[in-house]
Amino acid sequence: MTDTQSTQSPAVPGDPGAIVVVDDVSHVYGSGPSAHHAISGLNFSVQPGEFVSIVGPSGAGKTTLLRTLAGLLVPTSGGVWVEGKRITGVPKGMAMVFQDYSRSLLPWLTVERNVAFPLQGSSIPKAERKAIVAESLEAVGLKGFGKRYPWQLSGGMQQRVAIARAIAYRPRLLLMDEPFASVDAQTREGLEDLVLQIRDRYGMTILFVTHDIDESVYLANRVLVLSRPPAHLVEDIRVDLPTPRDQITTREDPAFVHLRSHVARLIHGGGAE
Amino acid sequence: MMTDTSTRALAAKAVRASREQSRWQRTLVSIAYFVIPLVVVIALWQLATTLPARPSPFFPPPLAIFENTWNLLFGSERAVQQVFAGELLQSLGRMALGYIIGAAWGVVIGTAMGLNRSARETVTPIVEFLRSIPATATLPLFIILLGGGDDMRVVFIAYGVSWFVLINTASGVGSIHKTMLDLGKVFRVSPVRRLFAIILPAALPKIFAGLRIASTAALLLAIVSEFMLATNGIGYMLIQAQGRFQLLNMWSWMIVLAIIGLLLNSLLEFIESKVLAWHRLSRAKI
Repeated sequence: MTDTQSTQSPAVPGDPGAIVVVDDVSHVYGSGPSAHHAISGLNFSVQPGEFVSIVGPSGAGKTTLLRTLAGLLVPTSGGVWVEGKRITGVPKGMAMVFQDYSRSLLPWLTVERNVAFPLQGSSIPKAERKAIVAESLEAVGLKGFGKRYPWQLSGGMQQRVAIARAIAYRPRLLLMDEPFASVDAQTREGLEDLVLQIRDRYGMTILFVTHDIDESVYLANRVLVLSRPPAHLVEDIRVDLPTPRDQITTREDPAFVHLRSHVARLIHGGGAE
Repeated sequence: MMTDTSTRALAAKAVRASREQSRWQRTLVSIAYFVIPLVVVIALWQLATTLPARPSPFFPPPLAIFENTWNLLFGSERAVQQVFAGELLQSLGRMALGYIIGAAWGVVIGTAMGLNRSARETVTPIVEFLRSIPATATLPLFIILLGGGDDMRVVFIAYGVSWFVLINTASGVGSIHKTMLDLGKVFRVSPVRRLFAIILPAALPKIFAGLRIASTAALLLAIVSEFMLATNGIGYMLIQAQGRFQLLNMWSWMIVLAIIGLLLNSLLEFIESKVLAWHRLSRAKI
C-alpha cells in the first residue's frame, strides 16, 4: 500500500464528514514465522471535535496505531484518511504529545524556544509567533517559565510544555501517546483537566492513547477498546457523561463506574466476556 | 523600622562578605591543589639532579631547563622572532589546519554514518580496520604519496585526527532517541533543519568528546610529522637538539609542548563549558 503518492485519493471510505477515517488497517512487523501482527483489520472514524480514547491491554498495538495515524508508519495494508485525504506521510494540522517528555523536549532550548520550535520556518511573523508562544504557555499555566530550561522543571510541568508546544502549532487534530504515564497521580489529574480545558478552548479533535481505564472514560466522548495483538476493535463505546467533567463528581457518577467496569472487563477478559 | 532595615542590610552584607570569602578560599584551595604537587616534584627533581657528586648529563636540573627555555623563547629579539614565527607558529599552524580539516571530515562522514543504519553497518568493518593502523605508522606512506612538504603534514594530521571525531559523531548521531527524531517529523520540520536543529545539537556532547581527544592527537601527529623531512617546527627542533646532544634544548622544547598541550586543552574545555552548559547542568540535575 505504498502506491498512493498522489494526494487525490479515491472516495473517502465511510463517513465523509469525519476528520479521521481508519479503513481496514493492519500492520505486521517483520515477516515469516517471527512476524508480529500488531494490528489487524481496524475500522473506525472520528468526528471533528470528538475526544476519543484508545485503550487496550499492554502491548496491544496502541502505539502502532497512533504512529500509523500520525503518518510515521506506513501500515502493511489498509489506509488512513485525515481531513478527506489519504495520508502518505505526516498530515498537516496534526500535532502530537509524546509519552517521554524528557526526550521530546529539546534540552538545549529554553521552554519558550521549545514551544516556538514547530513555528520556526513557518510564514508567521516574529511578533505574532511570540504572542502565540506566550498565549500557549499561559493556557497550560506556565506563564513566567519561558526562560527556564525543561530540565529545571518537574515532570508534570515538562509535559505541560509539550502540550503548550502542540497548542502553539494550532493543530486541528491532536494525538496523545500515553502522555501522563510517567507522572504521579495528583499531577495526572491536573493534566487531565488541563487537556479538557484546552480541547474546549481550541476546539481540537483529540485521539488519546492510554492504558489507564479510568482516564480513558473520564476524558473521552468515545472509548475504543482494542484486544490483545493482533489488535482488533473489541468495542466502540459512547461516553455520555455530563460535561464539564469533574475529578470528584464525575468519578462517583454511577454511569462512570459502570462504564469503567465494562471497559475493565473487556480488557481483562480479552474480549471474551 | 529604621533599625530593622539597617540590621537586615548589615546581615545581608555580612552574608555576602562571607560568601565572597568562601569563594576566594575555594579558588585558593583549588590553585593550591594544582601548584603544591608540582612544586614538590620540581623541588625533588632539583635536589636529585644537583646533590650527587656527578650529576647525570641526561637529566638537567629543572631550574636550568626553565632558564634555558626562557632564553630560547625570549632571550633576544631575534630569538623571539625566530622561535615564535619560525617554529611555534609553523607547528601550530600545521596542527590547526590539519585538525580543522580532519574534524570537519570526521563530523560529515560520522553524521552520514550515524544517520544511515545500513551505511553504518557496511562501513564499520572498514573503519575499524583502518583506524586500528596506528596513525603514526602511516607517515611513510603519506611521504611517498605527497612528498615531504607541509601539505603532506597537514593531510597526515587530518587523517589521524578524523577517526576520533568520526567514531564519536557516528555514535552520537546513531544513538539519538527515536522520540526526538519523531518530534521533527511530526511537526513537519524540514530535513535540513532536523539535521541542524535536532540531530547535531543532540549529538554535540559526544562530538565534543571526540574533538577533545582529537586535539591531543593533533599535537602528537604534528610533532611526529616534523621528525621527518622537516626544516622547521618544534618536532624538527627536538630532532636537531637530539642530534647535537643539546640536552637542555631538548628538555626545553618538551616543556614548551607541555604548555601548548595544557593551553589547548583548557581552550577546548572553556569552549565546551560555554556551548554545552545545558548538557552539564541537565545531567547535574539528575
